[in-house]
Amino acid sequence: MSITEMPQNWEPKILVFACNWCTYAGADLAGLSRLQYPPNIRILRVPCSGRVNPQFVIRAFQRGIDGVLVAGCHPGDCHYVSGNYFTRRRYLLMQRLLQYVGIDPERFQARWISGSEGPKFQQVVTQITEEIRAMGPNRKLRDAQ
Amino acid sequence: MKRVGVFICHCGTNISAAVDCEKVAENAKSFPGVAYSTDYKYMCAEPGQELIKKAIKEQKLDRIVVASCSPRMHEPTFRRCIESGGLNAYLLEMANIREHCSWVHPDDKERATIKATDLVKMAVAKVMQNEALVRSTIPITKRALVIGGGIAGIQAALDIANTGHIVDVVEKEPSIGGRMAQVDKTFPTLDCSACILTPKMVDVANHPNVNLITYSEIEKVEGYVGNFDVTIRKKARSVDLKACTGCGTCIQKCPTKVPSEFEMEMMDRKAIYTPFPQAIPNKPVIDRENCRYFKSGKCGVCQKVCPTNAVDFTQEDELVTERYGAIVVATGFDLFDESVYGEYGYGKYKDVITGLHFERLLNASGPTMGKIKRPSDGKIPQNVVFIKCVGSRDEAKGKAYCSKTCCMYTAKHATLVREKIKDSNAYVFYMDVRTPGKGYDEFYTRTTDQYGAKYIRGRVSKIYEKGDKLIVWGEDTLLGRPVEIEADMVVLATAMVAKADAAKLAQMVGFSYDQNHFYTEAHPKLAPVETHTAGVFLAGACQGPKDIPESVAQASAAAVKVCGLLSKEEMPTEPIISAVNEAICSGCGMCVPVCPYTAIDLKVIQERIHGKTVSRKVANVNSGLCQGCGACTVACRSAALNLKHFTNEQILAEVDALCL
Amino acid sequence: MSEMTKKMQEIAREILEKGEAQVVIGWEKGTFWYLSPPAFIDKPEDVQRLVWDDFCHNNLSKYLVDLKNHEGKTAVFVKGCDSRAFNRLLQDKQIDREKVILIGIPCPGLLDQDKAKELGKNSELPKAQKCLECQYPNPLVYDYYLGDKEALNEVAATKEAADYSDVAAIEAMSPDERYDFWTRQYDRCIRCYACRNVCPACSCRECVFDQTRVGWIGKANNSSENQFFALTRAMHVAGRCIECGECERACPMDIPIMLLNKKLVKDINELFGEYDAGVDIEGKLPLGHFDKNDPEEFM
Repeated sequence: MSITEMPQNWEPKILVFACNWCTYAGADLAGLSRLQYPPNIRILRVPCSGRVNPQFVIRAFQRGIDGVLVAGCHPGDCHYVSGNYFTRRRYLLMQRLLQYVGIDPERFQARWISGSEGPKFQQVVTQITEEIRAMGPNRKLRDAQ
Repeated sequence: MKRVGVFICHCGTNISAAVDCEKVAENAKSFPGVAYSTDYKYMCAEPGQELIKKAIKEQKLDRIVVASCSPRMHEPTFRRCIESGGLNAYLLEMANIREHCSWVHPDDKERATIKATDLVKMAVAKVMQNEALVRSTIPITKRALVIGGGIAGIQAALDIANTGHIVDVVEKEPSIGGRMAQVDKTFPTLDCSACILTPKMVDVANHPNVNLITYSEIEKVEGYVGNFDVTIRKKARSVDLKACTGCGTCIQKCPTKVPSEFEMEMMDRKAIYTPFPQAIPNKPVIDRENCRYFKSGKCGVCQKVCPTNAVDFTQEDELVTERYGAIVVATGFDLFDESVYGEYGYGKYKDVITGLHFERLLNASGPTMGKIKRPSDGKIPQNVVFIKCVGSRDEAKGKAYCSKTCCMYTAKHATLVREKIKDSNAYVFYMDVRTPGKGYDEFYTRTTDQYGAKYIRGRVSKIYEKGDKLIVWGEDTLLGRPVEIEADMVVLATAMVAKADAAKLAQMVGFSYDQNHFYTEAHPKLAPVETHTAGVFLAGACQGPKDIPESVAQASAAAVKVCGLLSKEEMPTEPIISAVNEAICSGCGMCVPVCPYTAIDLKVIQERIHGKTVSRKVANVNSGLCQGCGACTVACRSAALNLKHFTNEQILAEVDALCL
Repeated sequence: MSEMTKKMQEIAREILEKGEAQVVIGWEKGTFWYLSPPAFIDKPEDVQRLVWDDFCHNNLSKYLVDLKNHEGKTAVFVKGCDSRAFNRLLQDKQIDREKVILIGIPCPGLLDQDKAKELGKNSELPKAQKCLECQYPNPLVYDYYLGDKEALNEVAATKEAADYSDVAAIEAMSPDERYDFWTRQYDRCIRCYACRNVCPACSCRECVFDQTRVGWIGKANNSSENQFFALTRAMHVAGRCIECGECERACPMDIPIMLLNKKLVKDINELFGEYDAGVDIEGKLPLGHFDKNDPEEFM
């Protein structure tokens, strides 16, 4: 399948890096509360949002992901005291850099979602899915393979 | 060849109602490395676990993926399961197809099944890279350290000692007792502070399990929970504690007078002194900065008069290193620097004092023998004005927080003015009166109704001297009119602030502090005495403004935590920690500041290059301190640091599995 | 021979004869008149090879990393950018201050090599772009100084204003235009790693792009992997780039690498406060600490 054509029945595929202590728990809570959202996201569990190396994000785009969300505890609530503050600095820069090389801002996002914010998790992933669905498949940074 | 077994759980119908579990199991058979794949109604139930164990044996599986509920729910269950099936617990990965799939996509079975398949695929790709990890144990040293010998430190030490553990109490000052020793009476009961504190001081001093290390400071802290190596600087006391009997002759004969810190400089002490009469140890110390012998080499009277030859001018600071299993930090507070409020004239007018000065004026062994007298001329004041929130709740000039104790001690002071001085007036300028606490509001009500203290809601704008009076200008905001009071004395309820060197100690021990330098508890609700550093606990006002009962309660809570820790011989460590590839590490140290646990330092290694031995520095992860967050791995450009169980390779394998 | 060349040779001779240092790193004339590559002088009689001219571009501090295990001291000539690189390498703990003698040279700004090659010897040559944008032409740290010290103090007090107009021009494009622009640039990349090898911020013992771990870093030379390389390198030098522009000069494919680096410098300044890498060795690195009040523009 050529990546330059819009495939039929295309559905966006979105990778969510979720910290174990807040966002992963928030997603669990969304499940427990039966809060529905589009089945387009795939959660990758990491101990802390500070574990997410920018290289992972670029690699996902290379391999054809349509959008990436990095999510962790709110500032001040990090299970590891300060990990998310570094995440914030790193991804503030990274977001601007990605835009600078032509990646649309909707395709890479970062959010704070706590373990009690099931509804916020639902709302954020729904919104991102819809934004990316409207934009179509990502072709930028993609590996030709 | 790696052989992965995949087990898809139906969770009754919780998963299977929305996900075609048979199909997911079937799909999984085609994933690289998968040797066996099946589904079952309840994986976590006994038959389900038996199914896994049997398959491990019969199918020679060497790593397992369970697709079921959240790993936050059942990861421990399945780890135990595969462990009893003969595999290392860490050769398990879980795919969360319930909370993250079936429960949130109940109406689209086709796409929920696709998603579940993807999640399983990611887990398989990751588990292919999992390595067996071993939990190790660290021994626990059955000795506790309490830093700070105020009421919180004393209480914590007594509680720990009473359970049979050895406790060392390190106190910076020459005597234990802390701030509570300076206080005259305690609210809301008005019982005398010394009467309830000194018995405890004696108890702790005489306790067979407690070692008091006074006039000493923490120099260095290394190690981690169970094994803190703490270096303590025992400052040169110039008096041999063993020889000294505390007879006090030296103090009497010492010719040098110095303003007493304990008496808020309203009274003198000698250069060889005990801070207060009930001091423990009740043996003097020489203040070398002011001692005539140390300044000029002449004098030495104390040495001459000492009947036991205890005075030793040659004593030097001594560094001792001791190993502790747990640490309680109870370093207390300082008072806000009131001179920030120039309009109140603190420092300029002698009769504008702080609450702690006032405590000493009330105290029977204080500078005025318990008579409330003006520091300027010794006259008994008739009109005393109290100003609350000096430095508290004032973001512009002071601190944003409420110091919590001032409302009550000001009410106490106002009561005592009215009680002790006939026909006196006590005026209290306040922003709010906050009196939560058992018997506190009743006390405040008595202060106003029974003792007739006059509470004025508003701030003071200016104080100036007129003759021997202090004119206090303020505003009564309830009546909306200016107020002018001719006062004889003004008492400022200054804010409690963190110790000036609070941050230094926190950095040394390795835990965090807030913007006000109060120490940060691990959780504001559920872990109020723990810090983020395992084995380090908090007690008293070093964590935030507190009154005596709260400090004592927190101290006992911290003591329980310590005893819980010390009751074990050893504790297991989590193997999910960072590891350094020394061959790659260039020793740049970028990882060091991002580690929240100060678990990384640089160590020197030797290696041979071109026949020469050269030494270089590399990062070194302390496995007792590392909590496995992985922050360092991202700071490391050359990927010399990697987090076990969440390695770069594992995470990228998941990314690839999802995308390709 | 220029006055400065004479001074350089004199001090190098003195340092070597007295045995203050075993090696002096400077510049010498290369294959062409517009090249002045690094020179490593270890004998007093060789000092006449040293030269100071309009093409002494190489950031010499980088070579200290190669010599860090040498016995004795190394003396090195530093322009403004070399001195910032020196500070940066000190912060990265890659060199030992005690083992280095710094000889400061005031830099008037050097000439554009590519233009020199193109236009020939007797033409009016423009300054190199990196020198036109230079904020710190004079050395920030030195043991000896070969220029006028008083003039130095005057210059040191005034930092040139940064010019981000080129970055702004890219920011003004649409996302697709930006992507096309960068794809065109990085399609040319031949993954020779000259940019990395010359960069004083690239001080890793083993670069991730040289590692053979499976599944970690792609090595293929294609548009996607080249951009992966470019973005990764940009993030790795973020907050550490001293803007010497050597990467761009060394690039044989004329990829405007500094446009990426400058973007990060600009954003770091905007987001986390003014920070010039390699100026203050006590300062914390922008990505090595945080402020609880950092902006949250997209969280």
